Amino acid sequence: MIDFTAMILTVGPELWLVAIALIGVLVGATLKDRFNSVSIKFGALALFAAAAFSLMNYEGGEAFNGLVRTNTFVNFAKFVSYVLAGFALLTSEGFLKRHGTIRYEYSLLILLASFGMGMILSAADLMTLYMGVETLSLSSYVLAAFHRDSAKASEAGLKYFVLGALASGMLLYGASLVYGFSGSTEYAVIAAADPSIGMMFGMVLMIVGLAFKVSAAPMHIWTPDVYEGAPTPVVAFFASAPKMASMVVFANVMFTMFGDVIDQWQLIICIIAGLSMIVGSLGALTQTNIKRLLGYSSIANMGYALVAVAAGPELGAGPLLVFLTLYVIASLGLFMGVLAMRRKGGMVEGINELGGLMRKRPVLAIALSILIFSMAGLPPFGGFFGKWEVLSAGVEAGLMPVVIILVLASVVSLGYYLRLIKIMWFDEPTERFEAVDGPVTITVLLAALIAGILFLFFISALSGWAGTAALGLAG
Amino acid sequence: MAVIAFYLIAAVVLVSALSVIMARNPVHSVLWLILAFFSSAGLLVLIGAEFLAMLLVVVYVGAVAVLFLFVVMMLDVDFVELKRGTLRYWPFAVLVGIIFAAEIVLASVIGTADMETNFDASPGAETNAEAIGQVMYTQYLLLFQMAGIILLVAMVGAIVLTLRHRPETKRQNIAKQTSRRRSDAYELKDPTPGQGI
Amino acid sequence: MSNYVESLGQLWGPLLVLGQIALFTLVLLLSIAFLLLLDRKVWAGVMMRKGPNVVGPFGLMQSFADFGKFLLKEIVIPAGANKTVFLIAPILTCTLAFAAWAAIPVAPGTASGTSWVISNLNVGVLYLFAISSLGVYGIIMGGWASNSKYPFLGALRSAAQMVSYEVSIGFVIVTVILLVGSMNLTDIVNAQEGGIWTWHAFSFQHFPLILVMFPMFIIFFVSALAETNRPPFDLPEAESELVAGYQVEYGSTPYLLFMLGEYLNIVLMCALMTILFLGGWHGPFALGEEFVRDHPFVNAFAGLFWFMFKILFLFIMFAMVKAIVPRYRYDQLMRLGWKIFLPTSLVAVLIVSGYVVYLGVQS
Repeated sequence: MIDFTAMILTVGPELWLVAIALIGVLVGATLKDRFNSVSIKFGALALFAAAAFSLMNYEGGEAFNGLVRTNTFVNFAKFVSYVLAGFALLTSEGFLKRHGTIRYEYSLLILLASFGMGMILSAADLMTLYMGVETLSLSSYVLAAFHRDSAKASEAGLKYFVLGALASGMLLYGASLVYGFSGSTEYAVIAAADPSIGMMFGMVLMIVGLAFKVSAAPMHIWTPDVYEGAPTPVVAFFASAPKMASMVVFANVMFTMFGDVIDQWQLIICIIAGLSMIVGSLGALTQTNIKRLLGYSSIANMGYALVAVAAGPELGAGPLLVFLTLYVIASLGLFMGVLAMRRKGGMVEGINELGGLMRKRPVLAIALSILIFSMAGLPPFGGFFGKWEVLSAGVEAGLMPVVIILVLASVVSLGYYLRLIKIMWFDEPTERFEAVDGPVTITVLLAALIAGILFLFFISALSGWAGTAALGLAG
Repeated sequence: MAVIAFYLIAAVVLVSALSVIMARNPVHSVLWLILAFFSSAGLLVLIGAEFLAMLLVVVYVGAVAVLFLFVVMMLDVDFVELKRGTLRYWPFAVLVGIIFAAEIVLASVIGTADMETNFDASPGAETNAEAIGQVMYTQYLLLFQMAGIILLVAMVGAIVLTLRHRPETKRQNIAKQTSRRRSDAYELKDPTPGQGI
Repeated sequence: MSNYVESLGQLWGPLLVLGQIALFTLVLLLSIAFLLLLDRKVWAGVMMRKGPNVVGPFGLMQSFADFGKFLLKEIVIPAGANKTVFLIAPILTCTLAFAAWAAIPVAPGTASGTSWVISNLNVGVLYLFAISSLGVYGIIMGGWASNSKYPFLGALRSAAQMVSYEVSIGFVIVTVILLVGSMNLTDIVNAQEGGIWTWHAFSFQHFPLILVMFPMFIIFFVSALAETNRPPFDLPEAESELVAGYQVEYGSTPYLLFMLGEYLNIVLMCALMTILFLGGWHGPFALGEEFVRDHPFVNAFAGLFWFMFKILFLFIMFAMVKAIVPRYRYDQLMRLGWKIFLPTSLVAVLIVSGYVVYLGVQS
């Protein structure tokens, strides 16, 4: 019979999310427009509950005949992803209301996307992985095109869809090769199987597919366009929760399924990491649209994270979690900053429009500056420690070339980060900004607090947690 | 006998698959595609997976390809015009094709996996349908349900992206129509002559 | 010599099948000829007309006269038409309609558990479902290849309609499959042995299920009307709107093939309903085991009689519906299919599977 305890222990948060989403569909169909605004809070609450849920069963387990298996490593990622998804959802209400596009399907799609994230994190079988990836991607395509009357959003959705479908095809092709040559779809059996050439082909194709999902170069082409075109709250979601989840899944796949053949894929990952850092930091230099700029910055940051993946499970897993956690918090905060910048007649997206923010809205400006510094990895702020951990993991693993690229890329990226700071603090102010929604302000301040000060109190704890979480991989 | 049938059907599959990309008219392409699906179902019958074969016909040929055909017929794009530029991409496409083919050949030549393994279409059961039924709702319950969730996402997505409420359109309310009684519509009066109501 | 005999033995199997196919085809064609006449006669009767009565006694030879006329006429292919597809379409329709009959068991075999059928497939129901889902291609190809507005609109309508109603037909079939536990048509018929009350339409052996199965029978009947483009769902060829829908440009033999395919499909749907819901070849009263054992051939021909009788009954129902019910509007048609039949049959599947799991006697 079905073992409910194991199910709850392993994928409890996901089951909860999907149950809530299904209830949401029914309630939405009955209440129609009256549910729109409530659904946002309802969904955010469900996500926070799911986050708490994933902490409660932190040790994880195995269920559904080995289709899913969780450990502390993925549960840590689940927790962070769910919390961020909750914040991303909570802060989107004002934006959607102003654009007249608030519909309860929005929160349902975020919930279902989060379900997909949870499933890929829990996957212990290629089929579960693929199904989860599809759930996450399909909801993301729709979210990207959510403003269906805007040409840019539709273009973003279509581009994302076409390229994403190709990447899914790659992933599936790779997975089928791996299955064909190892004789099983289970991670554990594949890890134990004899690594034949055919399996390595499959592995490379899977890396291609996964690299697309985390938007690492050279599979990054879609990122700036989608970031620019999609509605800002959606981009805030894309840049935080799914980034965390997909990257950890990437690591999880490499570590658990191909952990023994690290010498086969280390170089590939290093090249992808190096390319991403170069493309990301050079590409961002010339951008004038803040969302595009942040898109390139996310490409570069995925490059940094991939360095930790390349360092291998023992050295890289802990730093990966620390880096990603601090990065996605800063990333979400920055997009909240973009959400907060609003003038009469719409959103502000050109970076020159930020001029004089310091004189008009000092608190917001200071918070954003902290977040930017943290993302740039300057010493007194949180991001520095994340980068430092990745850097030392890379050095320890002996990956000197990428470590050097990492340092250089960080220096280059200072160029555009500091430009933002300069415009905010010293340029002449343009028009007045409008008032900001409560949840957005709170999120920006919270993110800035964490990145600026609070991390001091828990950075050691965080690396401790991440370290022990990474141990879950071994066990 | 089975071998002859296999080669015959496999040849039809290959020829029709080739014709899908060679056909000048997109509608012909889709029709060839349907033939390819149908013959693949024939191949499935040959290995004893008759349930899968019928599902392939019902789902892909009976439903999916019909929608393909719909779209292609409705679009009425001048594909000859569209295809004019594709010549430029040919070298690249051929390159990618060769790389993929080489990968498969390399993998299957060098690969250690046992390619000769016989395939059992209905492990542990008498018929193919039974074999699938035994694992679908037990061992692979999670995947089955997730597939349902993916379809739900697709449905919600399609509704979000396309449904528009047009308040000005008139709709038929069947329940209201059928629950209407004669007394709701008119009443009988008995006016006195010369007075009116 | 022995070699020769052996090879003859090998040949015997295929030859037998070929013979069966030839017999089936002949009988079907002959019955279609008279059913067509019956259709027109019923329709005329409802309208208080006489119907065809000139050719032969009571007009019995009318269909053969029509046949000759269609065959001898010139085949006209419109200049703008896509020739190949234009000609393949009717051939496909007709071929598929015949192919479906390969899996229909018409009478009990002399040994128990067997039947008179060309191919006793394990997935017989699915095979029929698959073949009938292919039927839409003939229409859509014909409509497109004519390169004309009305045929194309008719083809689109018809395709959408058939795809929609296939869904509820599928669910209705699932309820029967659940009760029987097999997709073999012979098994399905044999599960209804024992008199009129054990037919699936009434299913007294699964007592409360008559409340589910009888409505399912009705839904299947109505969906079959829609699936075969019969009135009141003949939107694809609605003459007041689309002239004759996808058939506008067809004449002579191609048209004959279309019409033949259409009527074959109607009779096929009647046969399917007979098998799934009305007990197939079983008469309304059980003959008794002893009788069946002692007179297998009498039993077989009695079975054949009942089978044909039921098909005839259902066909007359089809004809009556055509005469009595006015044509649906297209949105009403879609509403009926998606909003009423689909949910109802889905609930029925739930109830029946619940019954089979918790109360039923799964065979």
